[in-house]
Amino acid sequence: MDSKSIQLHEIMITRGTFFCYAGPLSETVLTSISSGVKCQLADTGNTVSVINKVFGIFVEQAQNIIRYSCERIDGGGVGSVSISSTDSGFKIEAINEISQADRLRVGEALEKLQAMDGTQLKQAYKERIKSAPPEGSLGAGLGFIEVARRSSRFDFSFEEHDGTTLFLYRGWVDLPAG
Amino acid sequence: MIIAATNRTPEIIFSASGCTVKGECYPEDITELSKPVMKKLAKDLAQSDAYSINIELHYFNSSSAKFLFDVFEFLDNAASQGKEIEVTWFYRQDDDSMEEAGGEFQEDLENVLFKMTMLN
Repeated sequence: MDSKSIQLHEIMITRGTFFCYAGPLSETVLTSISSGVKCQLADTGNTVSVINKVFGIFVEQAQNIIRYSCERIDGGGVGSVSISSTDSGFKIEAINEISQADRLRVGEALEKLQAMDGTQLKQAYKERIKSAPPEGSLGAGLGFIEVARRSSRFDFSFEEHDGTTLFLYRGWVDLPAG
Repeated sequence: MIIAATNRTPEIIFSASGCTVKGECYPEDITELSKPVMKKLAKDLAQSDAYSINIELHYFNSSSAKFLFDVFEFLDNAASQGKEIEVTWFYRQDDDSMEEAGGEFQEDLENVLFKMTMLN
């Protein structure tokens, strides 16, 4: 028996990770896994509001890996995305390799967003949507703000691992009380 | 003209004086959708004094939000020059993300008549 297989099974079951994809991520793969994630979320029986938030964070995180992971493949990037059930709701996580230049840019942008309240985030979102995408951005540059707004909270860190830097990006969606 | 829905883009049906958008929007490359849509809107609006758009989206990502914003801005400009433009934003009951999104677009429009309608 392969003990690592059992370990993987146990880790995923005990931490409530009902979805995980790790490896080369392209838009085609995202299209395909999105259908599965949507079914899984619908089966949780949560409201459209909660499901939309979780799905929205998942898509932004996945597209972030596709566009910015510095481990590139043809038409995408390498990384992992997962969704777990927690005591309070859901946790959506993404991990990918990041370059030193992006690390500075991403860290600065996310720290700014972490310090903002709901009103300030809305303001930041509106300002960004009206202006052209920022330098180095392939999308509208709104993804980080979107995750900050849809999540109940989010965090991020950079970890040195095997001579590379990994970017860990996590968002939580809490279920409404009651 | 009809733009068929895909897994990740909405169906868009154009008539002479309006269009209907329904589905989800989180394409790989938003410009593949935005370019033909903006071109069609510009052409149709030039030929009509009144235009109405019905939008029922269940989800859209951040790149698509920028596209929607650009569409509304374009419509608002046209409305400021005397066109009668109406947008109806449909959202499902309990879908506060889409209700909020519609409300935020509405806040920034001065000349377009923007209506919010909840679906049961």
